[in-house]
Amino acid sequence: MIPALAHIGEHSSERRRRRRRSLARRTADAINGAIAELLYNDGLARESGLLQKLDPRIRLGTILVLAVTVSFLHTRPMLAVVIVATMLLARASRVSVPAFAGRLWASAGLFAILLAAPSATGWISPGHELVGQGNLSITSEGLMIATRLVLRVVAGAGIGLLVVWTTRWSDLLGALTALKVPDVVVATLAMTQQQIVSLMRTVENMHLARESRMLGRGTASQNRAWVVDRMAFVATKSFKTADDIYDAMLARGFSGDWPTIHQLKMGVRDLTWVLVCSALCVSAVALDRMIMS
Amino acid sequence: MHIPDGYLGPQTYAVLDAAIIPIWAVAAVKVKKTLKAKQVPLMALGAAFSFVIMMFNVPVAGGSTGHAVGATLIAILLGPWAAVISVSIALVIQALLFGDGGITAIGANCINMAVIMPFVGYYIYRLIAGEGASTTRKVVASGIGSYISIVVAAVSAGIMFGIQPLIAHTASGTPLYAPYPLKVAVTAMFTEHVLYFGWVEAFVTMGVVAALAKQDSVLLDMKPASRSMKWVWTAFAAIVLLTPIGSLASGTAWGEWGVDQFQSELNMAVPAGLERLSSLWSAAIPDYAPGFIQNPLVGYLLAAIIGSALAIGLTWGIGRLLARKSDGPTDAPSTAA
Repeated sequence: MIPALAHIGEHSSERRRRRRRSLARRTADAINGAIAELLYNDGLARESGLLQKLDPRIRLGTILVLAVTVSFLHTRPMLAVVIVATMLLARASRVSVPAFAGRLWASAGLFAILLAAPSATGWISPGHELVGQGNLSITSEGLMIATRLVLRVVAGAGIGLLVVWTTRWSDLLGALTALKVPDVVVATLAMTQQQIVSLMRTVENMHLARESRMLGRGTASQNRAWVVDRMAFVATKSFKTADDIYDAMLARGFSGDWPTIHQLKMGVRDLTWVLVCSALCVSAVALDRMIMS
Repeated sequence: MHIPDGYLGPQTYAVLDAAIIPIWAVAAVKVKKTLKAKQVPLMALGAAFSFVIMMFNVPVAGGSTGHAVGATLIAILLGPWAAVISVSIALVIQALLFGDGGITAIGANCINMAVIMPFVGYYIYRLIAGEGASTTRKVVASGIGSYISIVVAAVSAGIMFGIQPLIAHTASGTPLYAPYPLKVAVTAMFTEHVLYFGWVEAFVTMGVVAALAKQDSVLLDMKPASRSMKWVWTAFAAIVLLTPIGSLASGTAWGEWGVDQFQSELNMAVPAGLERLSSLWSAAIPDYAPGFIQNPLVGYLLAAIIGSALAIGLTWGIGRLLARKSDGPTDAPSTAA
């Protein structure tokens, strides 16, 4: 669940040290990493790259179209082209390509490889045996199925990562408002994001406080008891905070209307992007079908 | 359980994305009716809590850790419809802010974790805990509810994966998306959640419910549910009636080979231990096919009815036992919602 970005480029000695840390320290570090990633994403989204300059509605809409297009591609060369294209888009959006590729393959890629591996065997995909014999052999048909799955997952995750890394949360909420998503939903999303960060900080501080108070690591049962007790505390705090926020809203004159977050404007650049994107998607599917036949 | 992009074909994710929209709409109406004007901060904090609970690492056996989804817990605290919105928001934020779970698979993930889990978990909790139950009964009920809910959600995800080779393949039959057939996908998801993640979920939910009973027991008061429990039984009966669909899938699930299948399907020698222990216990209804029924579909259905009746009877018995134990003064008096 916690993004792996914080650990990219870490030395093996650092990794060994991390493994020796207590549960409280590891969790606190992971939460800190997640908050750092949020800030990192926000920094990237403020760059003046290709995707960041687009109207958020257009960016969200076209990226959704790209994700759907990937699900219609079935040949490995076309899926590989999409992965390369996401990296070029990342570069054009002033995102570091090694960081983008590292994150992509370290999370989605690795998971997809592990999940797809058994499908390369003769047990799931019988066919021409390349290595080994019987059900445990690797077949050419199986290899094709597994690589297609991995490429498709990585291509889809790359498109998702482009949204995450090039879109500020406030822009996303503005786009949702403009797309006529009910104001109450947008307001809930906005408030949720703020409260997530606040609760993450609370949870991180809890773990750091425990780490600083403890001499050893504690037994597993002690740690379990502490974790559920703190979860209950976070639940109580969450619901009390909800009451406080509502009281604050009323005190500030809340009358049931939610203000619109953004006034968005589409320009020539946005329309050009829509045209280019549509043409590329249609061409990709057409080429894919040509290769298939 | 977060399904990324690429595992589900358009035929599946489009249907699930379309299906989740009316569910959200109904949930919004229900929540508005029951929680009134405080809904926005409460939903937001519920979603934030749902998100953050997944960040707590829970120590499990052998030094490993796991994390809970917490959907049943949220349903117990906010009610099932409010949980639909809160967990959905948490999942949307995970997908759009952290890249956890696919964009096209948002509908599938929400159906599994924000609809199936809260409803299954909450109604099992209600069924066992009842009104004004003792803390012990509530804790046990929350554990059973959360355990079963995550297993059911995992099976649902397994079905979503498993139908891919059936509905999306090339002319030669090569799967285009998730490649594992129903029996493999459902068995894999079922097994890992029955053996591992279900226990983590149950432990967390039970622990938090027990701690809340001490810290702030008002939060555990029964939350408004839309209908009586009758519809739970109706839905359950419908699921039992649909069980013969399971017999349509052919072959044996991976790892569930019997003595005869080792030779006929795997061309492997039967392990000595397996051969020795295979005659230790003879099932009353082997292969879900009662001997006195000729039609396999009717036999499968009858096996489902017998199995369900046994499971319900056992759960009811545990519930009665706990109720008897807690007769007298309850340790956490409940107030009306």
